[in-house]
Amino acid sequence: MRVIVQTENVTKTYQRDQGVPIHAVRDVSVAIAEGELVAIMGASGSGKSTLMNILGCLDRPTEGKVFLDGDEVNLLDDEMLARVRNRKIGFVFQTFNLLPRTSALDNVELPLIYSERDDIEGLAKQALEKAGLRDRSHHHPGELSGGEQQRVAIARALVNDPEMILADEPTGNLDTRSSYEIMALFQELNRHGRTLVVVTHEPDIASYATRIIKISDGRIERDGANQHIRQAQDELARLTDMTEAK
Amino acid sequence: MKTARIVKSAFKGLGRNRLRTFLMMIGIVIGIAAVTVVVSAGLGAQKRVMERVKKFGLESLMVFAGGGREMGPSTSGQPVVTLKVDDAEALERNIRAIAGVAPFNRKGEGMVNYQGKSINTGIWGVTPSWAPVWDWYAAQGEFISEEDEAQMARVCVIAPTVQQELFGGANPVGEQVRIGNVLFEIKGIMQPRGISPRGGDMDDRVYIPLSTFMRRVANVDYLTGIKVRLQSIKNMEQTVAAMQSLLRERHKLAPGEPDDFRIITPTEVTQVAEKIAGTFNVFLVLVAGISLIVGGFVIANIMLISVSERRGEIGLRKAVGARSRDIRLQFLLETMVVTLTGGVIGILLGFVGAAILRAVTQMPVSLSWEGAALGVVFSSLVGLIAGMQPAKRAAGLQPVEALRA
Repeated sequence: MRVIVQTENVTKTYQRDQGVPIHAVRDVSVAIAEGELVAIMGASGSGKSTLMNILGCLDRPTEGKVFLDGDEVNLLDDEMLARVRNRKIGFVFQTFNLLPRTSALDNVELPLIYSERDDIEGLAKQALEKAGLRDRSHHHPGELSGGEQQRVAIARALVNDPEMILADEPTGNLDTRSSYEIMALFQELNRHGRTLVVVTHEPDIASYATRIIKISDGRIERDGANQHIRQAQDELARLTDMTEAK
Repeated sequence: MKTARIVKSAFKGLGRNRLRTFLMMIGIVIGIAAVTVVVSAGLGAQKRVMERVKKFGLESLMVFAGGGREMGPSTSGQPVVTLKVDDAEALERNIRAIAGVAPFNRKGEGMVNYQGKSINTGIWGVTPSWAPVWDWYAAQGEFISEEDEAQMARVCVIAPTVQQELFGGANPVGEQVRIGNVLFEIKGIMQPRGISPRGGDMDDRVYIPLSTFMRRVANVDYLTGIKVRLQSIKNMEQTVAAMQSLLRERHKLAPGEPDDFRIITPTEVTQVAEKIAGTFNVFLVLVAGISLIVGGFVIANIMLISVSERRGEIGLRKAVGARSRDIRLQFLLETMVVTLTGGVIGILLGFVGAAILRAVTQMPVSLSWEGAALGVVFSSLVGLIAGMQPAKRAAGLQPVEALRA
């Protein structure tokens, strides 16, 4: 299977002013292959977000090497990194990070502004449709529910047809139903071959992944295939049955 | 293509924050409006000066009887009797640069009667050379002739203001008017000339032959002044010096004694007129400049605040692939769009303001594309300078840190 992103002995150290250096990530070697839905799990402060930032080329490691699609990321300058992020990676954040007072469509178009693609409106509409928001394209974030806002963010992550989507606590600000919906969407995208990495501290969310990497104190504690993959769609159906039974 | 999208994105960003955009713009609008009004007023004043200088004649000099610093005849009350018709003839004969001379005498105020109607106007005794020397002719009828001058004829040529006041619109050529106690026949109407460099009405005059003025009206043998027309505007200083030494010699002035005449050049006419307009302009330019600088600071300040407020947006844009220079371009564009739009609005407001100024104060105001261009250049410059630091700061943010905010 093709490896999309790979780290070799990556360490990230933060130097807080005059204090002791903090090792957010220590000596991590990991590879994400095409078609995986990986959950990076860990308590807060375990270094999972730092690892995600490094995998997503948002941040550079202090030591070690990162290969994205075969290219060594360390050797790229900031401008090249921006290009890599634009073409190969889609981001989803806990707080959605949508531009306020801006339509869903315009929000989804944002990555395309910085690409060389044509017909950005058409591509954005397609992405919104994939995220199940076709008839919401002209709504502003303030007019959408949390779950819908996160779908806009997912559409924005999809719009450039990236190699990999990185989601940092994507359900952290959502209610149970919306969380299942988002995970169902992720699983559906994964079934169609999309590679996804989800950072979470909730074991429940991790249980929908095909592979779980457990991080603790900046090191990989456990890394293996998920033996009991649950289907978010089933949970949703159960939730609906419960509501109707009431 | 990409740049066009970033431009569009910058516009949308401004539209999302209408209040902020408006507040940023208002200072520039006021500043540019002020600049436009000042430039319009300044150009108007300059135009008026040039018109006046042209009226005086670019190739002309004026010799006034009496010394002193002020432009115009002696104001001491005592008439200066040293400048004579012979002086005018001597100047024309001896100085080759002189194309023509027009000696004259005048009474500031004289009564002119027509059928019981009487007005007070300037009475000017002039020779036929007055017309070519001033390049100023009779519009109707004829100007004073050599024959009139030789015969001390009782004829006069009136200027348009006098015509209007005594005759309304009617053609008065051939009519008789009484000047003092003497009857004169009107033989012509002068072309209108408007306001003189000193601000007087050059059309509120009656011209009679110089000989008639000196013998029949005022009973004097001296002149108020001599208008001199040169062959060209070249070597004016040498000509003035030559005239000065000739007149000093004729008036038998010992070295060290001051001149008993004054020679006025077009440069001096310009200076007097510009002095009037200048003081006002310096003040207004200062006000306009200060308001533009303040406007620039306001914009820089709001943009800096906006950069920290929009850290999340900047982080997101970088995460999805914006390069540092794309972010810099976006923020610089936002400021430039604000200042340019403010500039255009300011120019329009300034034009309206200038038009009102003209209507209310009768000041000469000239709306010009120079003023508008200046406004656009100034406002873009302010935008560029004010936007540079905020844009640099925005571009320098690291995506991870910006996203954490």
